[in-house]
Amino acid sequence: MANENVSVWTSIPFWRRSAAWVTGFATILLIWLTFDTIGQISMGTDADLKNGVTKRVPAPTVINYKIGYEMSKKRGHEVPTIGEKQPFFGKEWSPKEAANLLHLGKLTSQAKNCMDCHTLLGNGAYYAPDLTKAWLDPAWNSMIPMIGGMIGKELTREEAMAEFLQHPSRYPTHARKMPDLGITAREAKGLVAFLKHMSSIDTNGFPRNFSKTVDQFKAGGTNAH
Amino acid sequence: MIEPFTDVVPSFFGMLNQGPLTLTIFLHTIIILPMFWIYKQEKEKLNKK
Repeated sequence: MANENVSVWTSIPFWRRSAAWVTGFATILLIWLTFDTIGQISMGTDADLKNGVTKRVPAPTVINYKIGYEMSKKRGHEVPTIGEKQPFFGKEWSPKEAANLLHLGKLTSQAKNCMDCHTLLGNGAYYAPDLTKAWLDPAWNSMIPMIGGMIGKELTREEAMAEFLQHPSRYPTHARKMPDLGITAREAKGLVAFLKHMSSIDTNGFPRNFSKTVDQFKAGGTNAH
Repeated sequence: MIEPFTDVVPSFFGMLNQGPLTLTIFLHTIIILPMFWIYKQEKEKLNKK
């Protein structure tokens, strides 16, 4: 007997089929997204760098290049740029050496628990400055001569960073001084390589408005370079 | 209406992601639409009983 007024909302098969559809679709979507992400985050190779192939995550040998940070009008945020070759701690690192150095830096960052205070690629704390683009931080422009002056030596950016990491409590940097974590010279080198590589990762402009002062932010510019 | 693709690695979802809500609205739409169809089928079945 046909009854137009019968309610579907109380029908168990309707809810069962809807739930099966939503769950099934979401499962397929998540599996798809997993594989979609692999392409986005897989690390490039040394050959990619030599051939100018842009990858979101460049090869470890990116530490041999000058890293820039430029506003992309098209994308509406800053994008890391890989420039000409630049010696890192006075030499060019082979793919194997660079990978080992980066690995040491990563292990050190975990062993010293950087994320307890800092943020790396969106993970961690905001007690201390965000380290995602630390290599590009314009604060180094004044820090490098300051650290060099205190130890009486002319330093490159990587040497100044390594020196700071070994004796952070000696240098007045941030309102909250970084404690001395007993980082060795070798570990400091690794950490600097790790930070330089991280700065070269295309993070879609994260952290937003990195390195800008209020005035620069209002003017729409940046002093990162 | 559709902005040129600007992402580093092209992807289907990147293309849909035109703004903060576009991807969400698209996914919700394609999840909800088949439910109308399920609803109609179940209504027919109940009416036949």
